[in-house]
Amino acid sequence: MDRNSTEKSKLEILITGFGGQGIVLAGQVLGMAASLLDHKESTLTQSYGPEARGGACSAQVIIADSTIHFPYVRNPDILVCMSQAGYDKYADLLRQNGVVLYDLDMVRPPEITADSFPIPATRIAEELGRKMMANIVMLGFVTAVTGAASVEAMIKSVCDSVPSGTEDANTAAFNKGYEFGMAVLKARRKKAAAAKGGEP
Amino acid sequence: MERDLKIILFLCNWSPHAAYQALQDTLAPLPREIRMVRIPCSGRITKSLLFKAFETGADGVALVGCEPGTCRYGIGTSVAERNVEDTRGILELLGLGRERLGFAAFYPDQPDALLDFLVNFRNRVAELGKTPVVPAIAEVQSGASEGNAASIMATHNIYTCQDCGKCSSACPVALSGKPFSPRAIANAVASGELESPAVKEDIWSCLTCGLCYDRCPSAVSFPEFVRDMRNAGKNSANGRFEAHEGFFQSLMRTMTSPGLPVRHWDWLPEDVQTDAGSKILFFGGCSPYFDTFFRNHLGVRTTDILADALRLLNFFDINPAIMPNERCCGHDLLWSGDRDNFLKLARLNVELISSMGIEEVVTACPECYRAFSRDYPEHGIEPGFKVTHIFELAEREISKGAVGFKKSGRKITFQDPCRLSRTKEGCELPRNLISRLKVRAFTEMQDRGLSSLCCGNCAWTGCDSFSKAMQVKRLRQAKETGSDLLLTACPKCQIHLKCAMEDPLLGEEIRMEIMDLTSVLAKNIQWE
Repeated sequence: MDRNSTEKSKLEILITGFGGQGIVLAGQVLGMAASLLDHKESTLTQSYGPEARGGACSAQVIIADSTIHFPYVRNPDILVCMSQAGYDKYADLLRQNGVVLYDLDMVRPPEITADSFPIPATRIAEELGRKMMANIVMLGFVTAVTGAASVEAMIKSVCDSVPSGTEDANTAAFNKGYEFGMAVLKARRKKAAAAKGGEP
Repeated sequence: MERDLKIILFLCNWSPHAAYQALQDTLAPLPREIRMVRIPCSGRITKSLLFKAFETGADGVALVGCEPGTCRYGIGTSVAERNVEDTRGILELLGLGRERLGFAAFYPDQPDALLDFLVNFRNRVAELGKTPVVPAIAEVQSGASEGNAASIMATHNIYTCQDCGKCSSACPVALSGKPFSPRAIANAVASGELESPAVKEDIWSCLTCGLCYDRCPSAVSFPEFVRDMRNAGKNSANGRFEAHEGFFQSLMRTMTSPGLPVRHWDWLPEDVQTDAGSKILFFGGCSPYFDTFFRNHLGVRTTDILADALRLLNFFDINPAIMPNERCCGHDLLWSGDRDNFLKLARLNVELISSMGIEEVVTACPECYRAFSRDYPEHGIEPGFKVTHIFELAEREISKGAVGFKKSGRKITFQDPCRLSRTKEGCELPRNLISRLKVRAFTEMQDRGLSSLCCGNCAWTGCDSFSKAMQVKRLRQAKETGSDLLLTACPKCQIHLKCAMEDPLLGEEIRMEIMDLTSVLAKNIQWE
């Protein structure tokens, strides 16, 4: 059906976390990479207000090949969680067959029915020297796991969005998250292959 | 062509010599290519003597002894059989072929059988043809000259020695009770006593482990000073400082022959994946030779390290190239006073590796790593490819994430290899990896990291009872940690510490399982 084909080319992404984690910036980087550099359509809506003082805030990004008529995310295909509150508030909205990407030190999902990908983004950022880059690590991870935007576009978009002078550090953070994502995917492939091979 | 063949016959004094004399008395047609050397007993011809003949250009060597029951000394023939088997293993690895070494036993009244054996052996060697070995004997130099020594001293800052004695108080050789002092050598050389025993003998006692350099407030690079003194004053006329009668030095010199059809990897297990077209080369090192040489003595299996290193690479989806004709890196020649042949090996290695279009060389041996990354460039041989230790590569890949380790009930401790542990990074690298292992306990030994103790020997030189004392001390330290597994990162640490464990008087007190860190990583790594 016609509706299905437009559905397929549209990706709804919901990024959630505390105010101050750079959730909105992450949404902006992702949207800019998709629209300005990958030449797709994208929208960004953000919810902040009282959340900016530390509650659950969110950035809603839609990436599509054709015009987007409605800019709000109703049922995300990809849910990115960087705080427990964010997960609790939005997990139910996840579309069937959607994926959850979460910071494993910040979120303890009660039981995940959906396909989920944990990453210690905040820990990795701390190891790299700046905790505030956790959002960029997460973007690298999202890029690797979901392919929502191209790697080149994302790196360019990250560099355009972060304060000047921190481009190299942020690129390193992005790459770290990306490598982690690729490693996770590889690990899943290997485990699946091993299971098929009849290994215990 | 046939006239040129050189065949050495080591002939036991007793039974077979009587048979040989009978042949001579009857003017029997003995093959003229055979040169007979009369020996007291076939069991006294060690692996190094058998191999020395091949190193110096023999096309074939025959060892002829008495029938096992008739050996005048009881065990001569059975010792000879073992030596022959081990040496044949080495010849096989070098691609010379095991048949170039013949062995037979005769009664005194078997001259005809002896003649048959000699004629057949000669014919077989003639079929195999001339040896591809070009003799590469180390140049004999009378000793270090005054001017030579002065320039070596200047290069390594010997004149800045303050005579403070910190080196001697840290030196593991001095602490083992040997009358040896790094600064005494420095003083002797500085005062021109080049021929004094302090210089001529003590430079061969040094482990070149580098602990003194770490402690020296004036940065006197003593290990490299000793290395250059050994090279300047090579006293190869008597090889009494070489361990195992110089077998390994002979082996390395033999490998400088470019035409040698080495078969380094024939033993590789089938589950290991390699790819001849890869831009990454895995350089194994001499483990296959060690395992062959020590087969009947220590039962060491250092080739497991190489197989496990390759399995670890395979785990990360890296199928590296291997050189079927891989040779020694030359590290031990450089450090035992034969720089000329080290340079020959270094040039040959770089040429062979470059011709394969290799961009990165990975090795699990700290000595190969040091030779390629440091000694080659310092001697003007630029590798032109990146050199990576397997630990660096493993750390890089594991830190990407999604990799974990199986839980294990072992309690472990770690023996640092000298060639890796004299820098801060070199100490941290294995420890970072160890910290990822899910073992029951990791306990450091009393001397560790930058201060760790050498396994007791370097470059196959200067092995004596003091070396053994050092090894026993080290094993006691390992035991004191309460660990049940000693991790090493160099095949030689394994060989030397296992040798000390053979001590019949100490027995269980110092016996401990040893395994290379590379093997532990490869056996326990898994995707998470």
